[in-house]
Amino acid sequence: MRLLINIAIAIAVALIVGFGSAALVLDRERLFGAVTRGAWTAWPDTGSPDADPYTEAMLARTGEVPLGAGEGLAFSADADSAGARLRGECSYRVTGQTPPARLWTLTVYDADGHLMDNPANRTAFHSREVLRHEDGSFTVAVSRSAQPGNWLPVTTPDAIRLILRLYDTPLAGGSRIGAVVMPAIEKVGCP
Amino acid sequence: MIRTLFYVLGGVLLGGIIHIAIILLLPDFANRDAWTSLGRFGPDGAFHRLPMSEPGTEPLPYLDPQMAYAACRFSLDGGPIRIKAAMPEDFWSIAVFNRRGSNVYSLNDRSAERADIDLVIATPVQMAQLRENPIAALDQSIVIEVPVTRGFALIRSFVADPTLVGRAEALLGAADCSAELPSADAPPAVDPGDEKR
Repeated sequence: MRLLINIAIAIAVALIVGFGSAALVLDRERLFGAVTRGAWTAWPDTGSPDADPYTEAMLARTGEVPLGAGEGLAFSADADSAGARLRGECSYRVTGQTPPARLWTLTVYDADGHLMDNPANRTAFHSREVLRHEDGSFTVAVSRSAQPGNWLPVTTPDAIRLILRLYDTPLAGGSRIGAVVMPAIEKVGCP
Repeated sequence: MIRTLFYVLGGVLLGGIIHIAIILLLPDFANRDAWTSLGRFGPDGAFHRLPMSEPGTEPLPYLDPQMAYAACRFSLDGGPIRIKAAMPEDFWSIAVFNRRGSNVYSLNDRSAERADIDLVIATPVQMAQLRENPIAALDQSIVIEVPVTRGFALIRSFVADPTLVGRAEALLGAADCSAELPSADAPPAVDPGDEKR
């Protein structure tokens, strides 16, 4: 009897630890290979054959198709440069320069990773259409209310995510990501 | 009491094994992964244009809305495959993924050093056969060796402006995932039968 109870305890512990830890790990952001520059984080190994098993499992669960190392590198931001969570009810300014890339796009997603329908019909900016300052830097306003210049509209008051995709960039493809300059994400205001 | 503690410890160790097994096996059992999702767009062995990523109609999560996409699920069981596609002047890229959704190969228009896609995908065994019996018609093709038998290829084509969507979609719609692959040049000592489609 004692033995049976002990075995039952062992199995219960095994199941809770096994499934619990797997779920915990996969629900969080990816653990390994993250490269953080300013407010932005990229996972350069995601698009290579060396992707770790956790990344593979995460990709299989979400159905995402990562950018290959020969295509480019995606940086995502869930928080502003001060470290506060990005929220749709607040207004932000994404300003500065991007690392060298032939082409880049800046896209905003809601908390579930979906694009947001908006009257301006805009979900992204790319490097060739964005209006720039004289020194080549740019400012993109991310907010619910219309803004002059580059306006990336948001319709949710909840969490948002920005993704900056650099296409054909020397950063992808194995070379170490050094001290690259990423655009800053400044909070302009919250209601 | 001590004995129960040992059983708990054993349970934790077993839990670690279950954890590793889940992580390693999950890509083979997932039902919302990219491979499965792409099966919705049509039969294997041909490119299918994905609808443009717009709010509410995103074909796959986290696709760049500034790109047009075409995807092809392929199998190398019947021999190497050849992908041919005319592409726009602007940025494009193609990536090859294994069945589990991991990237095994990628290139863009600049690194391809040509304006169209002519890509032959072969397994290591098929590659060795191609090396033994080179096919002259593939001189201009990019021949890659991938350690997979099943997978999918995804073409991304930059759309700078909504007015260019039509052209990108027309070109992607004409992309060929099972282009003709000539057999080895004569005289092949041993006809590599499985190189024919």
